[in-house]
Amino acid sequence: MNLRFVTRKVLAALATLAFVICFNFFLFRVVEGDPVANLFRGKNLTLEQRLELRKQFGLDGSQSEQFVRYLEQTVQLNFGRSYTTNRPVMSDIWERAWPTIALVGVSTLLSTVFGVMIGIVAAWRRRSKADYGWTGFTMATYAMPDFWLGMLLLVTFAVTLGWFPVGGITDTGSDATGLAKLVDQAHHMFLPALTLTLAYLGEYALVMRSSLLETMREDYLTLARAKGLRDVVVRNRHAVPNALLPVVTLIAINFGFVLSGAIAVEAIYSWPGLGLLTYDALRGPDLPMLQGLFLVFSAAVIFMNLVADLLYSYLDPRVRTE
Amino acid sequence: MNTWRGVALAPVVLALALMCVATAAAQSDEGKKVVLTVGVTSNSFDTLNPLVGYTALDYDPWINQYDTVTHKAAKDFAVQPGLAESWEASNNGKTYTYKLRKDLKWSDGQPLTAKDVAFTINRARKEAWQNYDAYVHNLTARVIDDRTVEVTSSVPDPKLPSLGDTYILPEHIWGKLSPSKITKYAAEDGVGSGPWTLDEFKHGQYVRMKVNPNYWGGQRPIDEIVYRIFNNADAMVAALDKGEIDAAFNVPSEAFNRVSSTKGIVGIQGNQGGFDEIAINAGSGLKKPHPALLDRRVRVAIAHAIDKKTLLDRVYEGIGTVAYTISPSPDPAWIPEIPPAERFDFDLAKANKILDDAGYKDTNGDGVREMPGGGEPLEFTYYVRSDSEFAPPVAQFVSGWLKKIGIKIDQKFVSSDQLGPVIGKGDYDMFHWAWTPYVDPDQQLSYFQCNQIAKASDPTLYNNDANWCDPVYDKLYNEQKVELDKDKRVAIVHKMLKRFYDTAFYQVFVLSPDLEAYRTDRFKGWLRQPADVGPVIFSNSSPTYANLTPVASTSSGGGGTSTGAIVGVVVVALVALALALWFVRRRRTAEERE
Amino acid sequence: MSSTTVAASPRSIAWQRRRRALAQAWGLYRRHVPGMIGLSVLLVVVVMALLAPVISSHSELDVVNTVDHQRWASPAQVPPLGTDDYGRSVWAQFAWGARISLLVGLAATIIAIVIGSVVGIASGFYRGIGSAILERITEWFLVIPFIPLAIVLAAILGPSVRNIIIVIGITSWPSTARLVRAQVLTLKERLYVERSRALGASTRHLMGRHIFPNVSPIILANLTLTVPVAILSETTLAFLGLGDPTRASWGKMLEESFKAGALTRDAWWYYLPPGLGIMAVVLAFTLIGTALEEILDPRLRESRR
Repeated sequence: MNLRFVTRKVLAALATLAFVICFNFFLFRVVEGDPVANLFRGKNLTLEQRLELRKQFGLDGSQSEQFVRYLEQTVQLNFGRSYTTNRPVMSDIWERAWPTIALVGVSTLLSTVFGVMIGIVAAWRRRSKADYGWTGFTMATYAMPDFWLGMLLLVTFAVTLGWFPVGGITDTGSDATGLAKLVDQAHHMFLPALTLTLAYLGEYALVMRSSLLETMREDYLTLARAKGLRDVVVRNRHAVPNALLPVVTLIAINFGFVLSGAIAVEAIYSWPGLGLLTYDALRGPDLPMLQGLFLVFSAAVIFMNLVADLLYSYLDPRVRTE
Repeated sequence: MNTWRGVALAPVVLALALMCVATAAAQSDEGKKVVLTVGVTSNSFDTLNPLVGYTALDYDPWINQYDTVTHKAAKDFAVQPGLAESWEASNNGKTYTYKLRKDLKWSDGQPLTAKDVAFTINRARKEAWQNYDAYVHNLTARVIDDRTVEVTSSVPDPKLPSLGDTYILPEHIWGKLSPSKITKYAAEDGVGSGPWTLDEFKHGQYVRMKVNPNYWGGQRPIDEIVYRIFNNADAMVAALDKGEIDAAFNVPSEAFNRVSSTKGIVGIQGNQGGFDEIAINAGSGLKKPHPALLDRRVRVAIAHAIDKKTLLDRVYEGIGTVAYTISPSPDPAWIPEIPPAERFDFDLAKANKILDDAGYKDTNGDGVREMPGGGEPLEFTYYVRSDSEFAPPVAQFVSGWLKKIGIKIDQKFVSSDQLGPVIGKGDYDMFHWAWTPYVDPDQQLSYFQCNQIAKASDPTLYNNDANWCDPVYDKLYNEQKVELDKDKRVAIVHKMLKRFYDTAFYQVFVLSPDLEAYRTDRFKGWLRQPADVGPVIFSNSSPTYANLTPVASTSSGGGGTSTGAIVGVVVVALVALALALWFVRRRRTAEERE
Repeated sequence: MSSTTVAASPRSIAWQRRRRALAQAWGLYRRHVPGMIGLSVLLVVVVMALLAPVISSHSELDVVNTVDHQRWASPAQVPPLGTDDYGRSVWAQFAWGARISLLVGLAATIIAIVIGSVVGIASGFYRGIGSAILERITEWFLVIPFIPLAIVLAAILGPSVRNIIIVIGITSWPSTARLVRAQVLTLKERLYVERSRALGASTRHLMGRHIFPNVSPIILANLTLTVPVAILSETTLAFLGLGDPTRASWGKMLEESFKAGALTRDAWWYYLPPGLGIMAVVLAFTLIGTALEEILDPRLRESRR
């Protein structure tokens, strides 16, 4: 993988990021509102006090002045102050990033692994009962709204059976530390992770299945079989690794959707991550918070796309010669 | 060989193994400390600086930490001794000389003297501290001696001798801050004169206060007060149920009825005078509403078409009371009684008749009435605050009822931030909003003066969200502002409010209380302010904290998750079994396929 | 299938050929079991939506009319699907809500497909700066995560059915564009296009005769697979509170049931039907789309032998 290729991809990603940053600003400027008046409703502020507060919230100055200030602040990772908590947006985002990373990370891992496994089985046993069964199952889970699946799981396993907590990340009363705390968090994460995993493994299964079906038709497989290699070996050593390539791209494409899906799922389970933060910010709407979250989500997706692009080109030499 | 299975198995087994170990879920330590834990929902505390903090919940930590010269009685807000043990009026009630208690100390050991009181009042007035200005605007303080301070008002002020909203700050700490720095000071030093002082403020998670041994009223029996922030109201209610917290504020309405009927938990509908209204643009602002709305008969018809009782039952879950006039104070004495004859009660037939008689007929048969003589149809814009729990359902009801009397509502959804400028510009016909008044009615009454209407130079600067101007109201307002006799003052205020009610511009329909709940098995001595109807915590001056004593030693349960462990074991067993079967089948079919 | 027509013009021959191809395709489709299942399910839902005023009462949707109805009534107490927290009939919401979900799904998809196809064809067919810019824009829009963008747009435009359609349409076109562009690029490589150009064929001829007919099957298949995405998007947006508050939709039913605490109240009749309805419609379109893909793509068809 030569340096020029990598540099080009990285530069393209940065260009996209720059576009998103500018786009972000203009998008939110269109929503006119006076958060100062709303927050201080009923307090008899003088004109000076109001102007001072507007300055604190960054609401003074002309459009272009605000834009320049916005750019400066964004580079310093300063997204302003939340309209509802009056804390810097970045500190809220920073605190709540880890639960989402954990949840999305585990779900993506599990859904990829299980989805690929199912796809392999379905493709290898094409048109057998297993194939139809698995394809049907994955289609069904894919057709469900992810948060609806979350609601069902919540009702069944948490509310009715009581096997899992109804929400949150830890038991509010406990002061557990170390391993016990980790276990408690895992206990709380089980249902939300299960929801996101089931919701997205369908796509991986279907893509893996069709990709594997295409690969299996390739000539070099016939050759391998003709050489007398066992089916399983042919499959695992030759077909599957090549068929995996579209799955890699899919992980990147899906990442944006998983993040978006996490918003609703976190809301259902009160999982204190960026998704719940977005859901709450919608109530206001807490514009600085939404603006910051929008940027963070976009940057994450851009980054994942870059990684997937580079990974794909590393795995598939054909792509590099562009 | 089968790397896929290995890869897949590993995370699954690991995750399940971790959960199986879950039986070791920790118990929280049996503290010898007496801790009062209060649950609040998120977005509660912005800053603990009493000058600039604006969230309603900031007040209780301030009240606990910064004592005031006078207190407000739990029963009826009557003035009571606080830091001052007595006072004397002079100068026609414009001057009060307060005698502070002996040996007052700050929590850090420094003496609390008249110098601290004067420092606070004078700087607050000079620098127009946001949260103090309304109370100290006309006051000047003078130190007579260490225990005596004289406070003079430039105009007769009926609020005096109460200084119950002026949190006295330690000069030896705050005096060092310049005017620009003082508003940005985080105020987390934990130095105060109240029964508890700040121990730790973890933003977004909790506020912890520790008992102040130097409190003049004696060290209270509660070692710590913790305000625990919950991201989710249901989680907070669950925690109250389980006993993880002792009290909860802002219980959601649909949980409230269930919680109140739980044994061992008391639900409190804390009436703070907060009310909801449907406001019609009165036309004295920058823009006039639909011409029909300037006709009082149309407004009265609208009033007759709104079933306040149903709104209360269906939208507010029956929590609250039907209201008619604005309530300028949590003290019910200030609210006038509207005789039944003058009320606009729910009567669709009457509403229709009023509109028919007034000449607003539906000439083209589309179900919507037009102006007399067949002009503009009666279509009004109605702004719904999307961030309010109640505004959207109320809008649904209002829209439905008005449809039945031939009026079409165009619902516009905006956030509260966006609605502010809309009202200032007068660019609306109707909207639904709410107010929560202060104890002294002056503030709430002041908003509806003519000079509080938005001006063209800055349409966002206004308080009069009714866009209503009535010189008689203004005259009466100025009279009550300096009337020192409470009964006379009440009479004036009643006259003002009845006048406003009669115009049918500002249609108040419910008094909406704060919903709270507390456990009976932890602490006793919960005080409602005002008596019988008010909230217990986050009331106007929250006198309950100093009154609480523990019932038994506190113990919080830590949850064991033995069911989780059992489930984990079973699932692992099933997965292992399934995988084993799969292995076996694969082996066999693989051989067959050779 | 008459063969005794008068001297047929080239155009009528072409139309006859198209009709025959269509009949052939339908014959193939009929034999595709999953595709037929999907089609029948979809028909049932569409019929239910169209007959909503007949099979349920519109007045039951208005809170003012249900003031004296029992709240949270189970289907046993108030058939067929009980009532919600305002006493409104859940069945009425379900039937009428189908309209919104289908309408938004279809309308948003059409917008997305139209924009996506135009951009895709343009950026694939033409070379040069314009096409490069179009490609860049497509990439950019693909990267921006959908929900945050939809949230902001909904906040700006305000929550109404029309705006939700616009929002979903605007955020969904990039994947179509990318797909169409790839197809056009492949087509351009085909020799006959080169030859046509050499023979002096105009762009219009190329577009009309070669590009468009070969791209339309892809677009059609993509359409049926985009509708489920659009429907799921509407559901998610409504759940987050960005849907039209004055109209019943399946997503709105889920939002209300969640906010009103149907989960803890065990009011399964409020949140199960809309979810199942969405599943059914999404599955139906997916099955139809898969069937169309197999029929229209000869390669896939061959592998079935």
